[in-house]
Amino acid sequence: MASAPTSKYNSHSLENESIKRGTFFILIDKEVIYICPFNGPIKGRVYITNYRLYLRSLETDSALILDVPLGVISRIEKMGGATSRGENSYGLDITCKDMRNLRFALKQEGHSRRDMFEILTRYAFPLAHSLPIFAFLNEEKFNVDGWTVYNPVEEYRRQGLPNHHWRITFINKCYELCDTYPALLVVPYRASDDDLRRVATFRSRNRIPVLSWIHPENKTVIVRCSQPLVGMSGKRNKDDEKYLDVIRETNRQISKLTIYDARPNVNAVANKATGGGYESDDAYHNAELFFLDIHNIHVMRESLKKVKDIVYPNVEESHWLSSLESTHWLEHIKLVLTGAIQVADRVSSGKSSVLVHCSDGWDRTAQLTSLAMLMLDSFYRSIEGFEILVQKEWISFGHKFASRIGHGDKNHADADRSPIFLQFIDCVWQMSKQFPTAFEFNERFLITILDHLYSCRFGTFLYNCESAREKQKVTERTVSLWSLINSNKDKFKNPFYTKEINRVLYPVASMRHLELWVNYYIRWNPRIKQQQPNPVEQRYVELLALRDEYIQRLEELQLASSAKLPDPSTSPAGPSQMMPHVRTHF
Amino acid sequence: MEHIRTTKVEQVKLLDRFSTSNKSLTGTLYLTATHLLFIDSHQKETWILHHHIALVEKLALTTSGCPLVIQCKNFRIVHFIVPRERDCHDIYNSLLQLSKQAKYEDLYAFSYNPKQNDSERLQGWQLIDLAEEYKRMGVPNSNWQLSDANREYKICETYPRELYVPRIASKPIIVGSSKFRSKGRFPVLSYYHQNKEAAICRCSQPLSGFSARCLEDEHLLQAISKANPVNRYMYVMDTRPKLNAMANRAAGKGYENEDNYSNIRFQFVGIENIHVMRSSLQKLLEVNGNKGLSVSDFYSGLESSGWLRHIKAVMDAAIFLAKAIMVENASVLVHCSDGWDRTSQVCSLGSLLLDSYYRTIKGFMVLIEKDWISFGHKFSERCGHLDGDPKEVSPVFTQFLECVWHLTEQFPQAFEFNEAFLLQIHEHIHSCQFGNFLGNCQKEREELKLKEKTYSLWPFLLDDQKKYLNPLYSSKSPKFAVLEPNTVSFNFKFWRNMYHQFDRTLHPRQSMFNIIMNMNEQNEQLENDIKDLESKIKQRKSKQTDGILTKELLHSVHPESPTLKTSLCFKEQTLLPVNHALRTIEGSNPADNRYSEYAEEYSKSEPGVVSLEYGVARMTC
Repeated sequence: MASAPTSKYNSHSLENESIKRGTFFILIDKEVIYICPFNGPIKGRVYITNYRLYLRSLETDSALILDVPLGVISRIEKMGGATSRGENSYGLDITCKDMRNLRFALKQEGHSRRDMFEILTRYAFPLAHSLPIFAFLNEEKFNVDGWTVYNPVEEYRRQGLPNHHWRITFINKCYELCDTYPALLVVPYRASDDDLRRVATFRSRNRIPVLSWIHPENKTVIVRCSQPLVGMSGKRNKDDEKYLDVIRETNRQISKLTIYDARPNVNAVANKATGGGYESDDAYHNAELFFLDIHNIHVMRESLKKVKDIVYPNVEESHWLSSLESTHWLEHIKLVLTGAIQVADRVSSGKSSVLVHCSDGWDRTAQLTSLAMLMLDSFYRSIEGFEILVQKEWISFGHKFASRIGHGDKNHADADRSPIFLQFIDCVWQMSKQFPTAFEFNERFLITILDHLYSCRFGTFLYNCESAREKQKVTERTVSLWSLINSNKDKFKNPFYTKEINRVLYPVASMRHLELWVNYYIRWNPRIKQQQPNPVEQRYVELLALRDEYIQRLEELQLASSAKLPDPSTSPAGPSQMMPHVRTHF
Repeated sequence: MEHIRTTKVEQVKLLDRFSTSNKSLTGTLYLTATHLLFIDSHQKETWILHHHIALVEKLALTTSGCPLVIQCKNFRIVHFIVPRERDCHDIYNSLLQLSKQAKYEDLYAFSYNPKQNDSERLQGWQLIDLAEEYKRMGVPNSNWQLSDANREYKICETYPRELYVPRIASKPIIVGSSKFRSKGRFPVLSYYHQNKEAAICRCSQPLSGFSARCLEDEHLLQAISKANPVNRYMYVMDTRPKLNAMANRAAGKGYENEDNYSNIRFQFVGIENIHVMRSSLQKLLEVNGNKGLSVSDFYSGLESSGWLRHIKAVMDAAIFLAKAIMVENASVLVHCSDGWDRTSQVCSLGSLLLDSYYRTIKGFMVLIEKDWISFGHKFSERCGHLDGDPKEVSPVFTQFLECVWHLTEQFPQAFEFNEAFLLQIHEHIHSCQFGNFLGNCQKEREELKLKEKTYSLWPFLLDDQKKYLNPLYSSKSPKFAVLEPNTVSFNFKFWRNMYHQFDRTLHPRQSMFNIIMNMNEQNEQLENDIKDLESKIKQRKSKQTDGILTKELLHSVHPESPTLKTSLCFKEQTLLPVNHALRTIEGSNPADNRYSEYAEEYSKSEPGVVSLEYGVARMTC
């Protein structure tokens, strides 16, 4: 886990790094003082490669104190000037995307911070210096190729598609219909490609309603899209109305199509002013519209900022609970989960097809469809299934990772940045807490995904959409995060996982049951003793191993006793009694 | 029973306050001498012990009937709708009477009969032997001795007969000191730390007023500090907030003046009094659902109730105490006002941190017997067993249990018992089903002849031990010798399984522990099978060695290769997908089908913890 650099890496990982192809040292052995917010100033030496920053302590047995991928850096500031007084007042202050800040104090003489500042700026924000993002230089090799994990045709086939109501279309093969959608789309059989083109004119950024998931039994579907371009004048589009009706008709069980607009009602109305809006009752007779009250990316960004304020560097002590509440972070989590539960319930119990959108259909929509699918389809709760879910609903459908995370970009205050994907992973974590046996992966898996969401070591989360990724040949030129994970799956497995088919998970999305993900948000604080591995998991793994040992032992004994004893008069009591335990293994 | 007018009402609705769909169950309500029983149309029974009822409310008549809301001391809230107002009124009146008894003799424990004979009953009472416990701690010894001063409850009515005091403290000193302490509760030994030779002592506040002194009391404290050969300094912990202690001075009580006592370090630790705790719990229950669950300000409500802050205060005090002994090797004297509430909390929790014995099932019983029951925590008043002064009711013991629960959360491997054990004990401090918690002190209990007329709870819990075992317990790990809890803010959480124990929506951890428990049992079974087989093989071996088969046996030792081979490929199989291996075993052996049991656990939607109540009910039938 790259998340806990202290003590995780011993000193020779430095040497390893230099051997690893694709990385090279840029700054070696620079003496700085790391102002650790927990343990005070630590004298150390900084090493910077084109991928990470290391700090080796000069005080405590040259232990590695820091190991930070440069991709994690969101902002580098100079603190103090050549004339500032006071100890450790001159240096650099680095803000990271993963809930921490790093402070280095340097000697004031001779502009000693200049080279470090320039190198960090250059390699943490390569886009501004026309340098490639590190993922394109990374030459790591894994014995599994993560890029093969997701194949849309296979995934749709797994869902039983195409069928006689739904077809796969290649209309967007060259990203001409919609440049932020994937090449391959699933649409109603009865809608022609021309219909699709006409519908595209009425949906924001041409993101037409397409199928995300189909229920294996009742054949209801989750369909995703962007908002309709209704505008102030309340424009209508016959093709769009007809298209939604066609979607509704693929499911004969209920006479209405359910539309979930993820936004709060007022926001949806306000969007009319900029040409957007929502499906009105008069225009769409056979649809019911519900608003899910999930706030926009800006609200989420500010909320997470407040979380950071109360957990880093110091954890709010005296008013912890009310401060936590005032960040509204858990409330947003609750709303997202509640929305997804409604979608899942509508599809599974309500037997109604569901259309989900927000404004552009790439943030809240992705959260809702992917979480609902996670609740409905146990396949997505396996490690590979989850990778496919992320690859499909987030990456291929154009969640704007580049804009939301700002990979290699220096504009830390960019209003496009927002922790939407983090919020999704948090929701998944909340679910895994409530259903500890339902997921094949563990917490470490989720944290690893989040770490590499920022690290730029892998190509997985680069760029905003599939067309851009294709243009940059990302799959050819970079390594996939899933290569790392799938080549070492055991590390990411939840020992309690019990595979269950067709069980719908409905998490309880009430404040009483949601908690702050301490192991992620407060992980830099040494006061949280992360019990690694978790004692419950550990005990279970021990018991499993013990059982295997016993069973093996028993097997050996049985073989020994049966081989030894051809005499039938004495044997039946023994082995036959034991057989049930063992026979099963053959 | 003279209080019961209606014993059976049909067509009563029971509302589930945790259910989101506002569903209700229809069934029949029965009123028995001890319980209120509701049987729904699925024949599911809900038993409510009259003694558990904290509050009965009859709400305004609605179109569907007359609502009757019952709040229980185990935090259950039931909402019935009785079709006819007259029935509702009858039940309401009966419950008012039945839930508040005037005499001890009318409590359930005096009629409860688990079908045991007198010797079994007596054995049950002898299960926990405090003399034995003091011996375990290492007293009496050269510094501490058993005092007979209170043998007849002459010095202090609320203390036990047997008290341990410093050997050099003579009887006149003890008597003198007791006159200078509120309610005569003079400093005595609560826990002796054998390795450190340091002691935890407890008492009540001194009657010092603004300037009064008592030489005997000063001598007694000196004797305590002298009984510690390593550190002559001792701490005196006043567990009250300083302001409260100062206010007590005006009433002729107060706290020790450091100038008058040699070698003491005086320290306030600021735990609030029983009235603050009572209203804090009230607020906690309000934000958490007494008035509906859809509160959006759950966290700030939780905070403003102050409950978790109080829990933290108790915990911090215990940590201070444990540190004084472990780090400084100092003896500590703990008191509050009367020395039976906060003092019991801090002494018992401190001992629990220091001594892993108290983290076992039996040890925890001993701890409660010692620091709570024998030293006169006023259970009957604090739990409101009888119709008495509501201002004496306070969740002091509940707080202690909650502190222990927080410790089990932080140190999941350090405790032999699980959460269900704590919940069950909490259930019974209010149930009045057993004699242990009746009365307010030992003297009163003897007068009530509890040991002859009622049963002790502990043997029943021990019989059911399996239900209360923590599968993660690692008794031998030196890591958990002394617990050093971390009291950072986010470690204090709302104890859902206590205050919302009747919320059936979710109990995930329990299911994980069940899995581990089952796995444990499976392994034990396997272990037994192996032993069985081994002994059988051995037997045969010895038979055969004298027989002709000797040659063949030698031969059979060799062909180990097939055995090895199969086990190897088996190993591979299990190493890859652990769960597949699991399934194959279970699939063919329904007897230990973990998966189906687990699925059942879920579909039942009635978690193990909830069945506690049925446990009570079943015992009574």
